[in-house]
Amino acid sequence: MKQEKKFAPSEQQHASDVRSQQSTEREFASVEELLRYDAEQTIVPAEIAQRLQRSTARFSPPAARPWWKRLFGGANL
Amino acid sequence: MDISSVEPAGLNQPPVELGSDSFAGLYQTHNREIYYLALRLLGDPHKAEDATHDVFLKAYRKQNDFRGDSSWRTWLYRIAINHCSNLRQSWHNRNVIPNSEDSVWENTAARADSPLRVLETKELGQRIQQTLDQLSEEYRLLLLLVADEELSYEEIAALTDQSADAVRGKLHRARKAFAVFFQKTSG
Repeated sequence: MKQEKKFAPSEQQHASDVRSQQSTEREFASVEELLRYDAEQTIVPAEIAQRLQRSTARFSPPAARPWWKRLFGGANL
Repeated sequence: MDISSVEPAGLNQPPVELGSDSFAGLYQTHNREIYYLALRLLGDPHKAEDATHDVFLKAYRKQNDFRGDSSWRTWLYRIAINHCSNLRQSWHNRNVIPNSEDSVWENTAARADSPLRVLETKELGQRIQQTLDQLSEEYRLLLLLVADEELSYEEIAALTDQSADAVRGKLHRARKAFAVFFQKTSG
């Protein structure tokens, strides 16, 4: 049976410190690419959806546009 | 109705109307882009949260104003841009943005054209915000809009009330300015 090498507590802490300090270097070809990456890392607060649900519940849905406005895009006849 | 699959109406087609389920789909499809725009324009997550809520609420209440002559996203962006602009004007605490002359960016062409190498740390977002805060509002907005791959130059031009050629020219200078300031944030 293999003997698994176990880290001593001090070794475990050192390994953890090294991992937390290491950062990955990335290269972005453009400002847009950098911003897109930043946007992907951004988490939208879930509270917004909850607030919206409460807010929209206070308002009745907007009245449907008359059929002739929907058909002709609201042009004056 | 799955709003994410709905194509914007063309000139000869009736505008698409939203029911409550479709509005939920609209939010689900576009919330990240609108929130990110608000976050980087306003520089504060709490303000961005409020702004995003207000933008979508306005969209919900004004959905009958949507004529279908643009995409849903472009329409939402217009609401968001106007909302954030009004907010900033009402604060009376704008940062002083130096109107640097173009010659400054021309002299730094070499550095500005090189790839951006960054360490992937949690401070990256702070560096990006610090950099954007150094730019003029117009440059900041143009860079944020062009980062959205779904927006064309023509749509950006329509959102910023200028020609596509003007957008291209300003973006060229905005990218240089961003690169210069971004490198300074590395300390």
